[in-house]
Amino acid sequence: MASNADRAPPSTPGAAVARTPNRRAQSADPNSARQSASARRGGATPHGRAAFAALQKRRTALFTPGKERRRSIRDQRETPRDPLRALSRLLAPSSQAIHSSSSPSDPGANNSSLPAVAEEDETHNFDDDSDDFMIERPRLSLNLREDDDDEYSELKPPRLSGLEDYTAQSIELPRRAISELPPGRPSLGSVGRESDYHEFPDPPDESTFAMPAVESSPAREPMFLEDSEPMVGMEDEMEMEDENENENENEPFGLMDSDNDSPGPADRQPEDTMLSLVTDQRVQSPQNARRKKPGKKISKHGIEYKSLPQGVVKRLATTFAKTAGMGKAKISPDTLDAIMQATDWFMEQLGDDLQAYAKHAGRKTIDESDMITLMRRQRQTNSSTTPFALAQRHLPRELLQELRMPVPAPIKGPRKKAQNDAREDGEDDVT
Amino acid sequence: MAPGQKLYPRATVRKIVKAHSKCNVSKNVDVMVFLDYVLFMQSLMKEAAIDSKQAGERGVSAKSIKKVTADTLAKFKG
Repeated sequence: MASNADRAPPSTPGAAVARTPNRRAQSADPNSARQSASARRGGATPHGRAAFAALQKRRTALFTPGKERRRSIRDQRETPRDPLRALSRLLAPSSQAIHSSSSPSDPGANNSSLPAVAEEDETHNFDDDSDDFMIERPRLSLNLREDDDDEYSELKPPRLSGLEDYTAQSIELPRRAISELPPGRPSLGSVGRESDYHEFPDPPDESTFAMPAVESSPAREPMFLEDSEPMVGMEDEMEMEDENENENENEPFGLMDSDNDSPGPADRQPEDTMLSLVTDQRVQSPQNARRKKPGKKISKHGIEYKSLPQGVVKRLATTFAKTAGMGKAKISPDTLDAIMQATDWFMEQLGDDLQAYAKHAGRKTIDESDMITLMRRQRQTNSSTTPFALAQRHLPRELLQELRMPVPAPIKGPRKKAQNDAREDGEDDVT
Repeated sequence: MAPGQKLYPRATVRKIVKAHSKCNVSKNVDVMVFLDYVLFMQSLMKEAAIDSKQAGERGVSAKSIKKVTADTLAKFKG
């Protein structure tokens, strides 16, 4: 395409004008915002740089005619241009531009007029137009001048980057920064991020967790969402997520058209709602603090609790990663975050199940029998494996020893569940 | 693991279960809960290791954990 444009010089500036914004638009469309943010500041996006380089090359090729170009002009001239040349010679004395009439006649004139690039440029374009398109010569030349102006003016303040500004601020800063920080993908485009964004919260809601349908499952779903985005509360969180999805779908495609694209509210609104929600619902768990140490969380019954300490979880994870065959497995902070989230979910699910069992048995106390029922229903224990065997097998040995020493009862005890049921948990931490 | 270190914070586990179930928690339930959690973690890490091996990663990545979490949780649904 570029060679074609070089070969047919009259079409070159038009092609450059028509092509450069298109290409920039295409490159700017799929990966919207983070790139554009950098482009807005430095103008140093790879796409932007490539477009600029291509444009420079085209411009230099236009200003300094090379051999191929001259040769191609000669080829073109041989067939249709003789009457045109005659016409130009006829018209030449009437028109004041003597240069233009003389320059296309012999290719040597081009060489002679090489050093004067600036004026050569204008006359050159003009002549080539007259040579190629004889019918619409005046209009095309006019278009060329306009387009040239447009091209150069468009190059300096690119309209696209102005658009991308909005997307950068409306999409990127408020919600990606918050919702997507734990996975920590700094360099991917929005497509990848969006897919990841959709990928994670969807399966726990719909496919997996709505299925078993304990009576408490509707209340559990927002909790999962809440855990996936730890800052925001439940229902508002759902709304926010809907908004996010809508905007994510809308904005890369219909940049101008989407109604919430006006820079002021689109900038402010998510951030403000986020902030207000945070200050409303959980004041003490901004995300960084949560990353450092798990803060207090609130269960669906409104009881505060802390999740398991990360050290315990990390130790277990490292042990089992080693067992599972990842040899010198280092648990990265991201992975640990994911595991902590899974831990929270697991604990919640377990609490729900235990509550259901205890309630079914007419108790208000979760008993060991509930736990045994749960493990049997989880198919962790069956007729051949007792919980004690499980504990012996799966807990590491030193952990098992430590576990056995303070608490001998539950390990032998669970099978013969003749323990008294009406035990209150008056006591607290034993170890 | 250091010998003096606690295996796991019993009070925390107990509080977690209590918060989620709004029930009282009997005396030695937390040990069983922790055992169950250990089993869960084993299953989770096993699945995640398989997944990340299939993806050709070196360690266990957060992505594979996330991918596997839902299935493992469903497996441990009572």
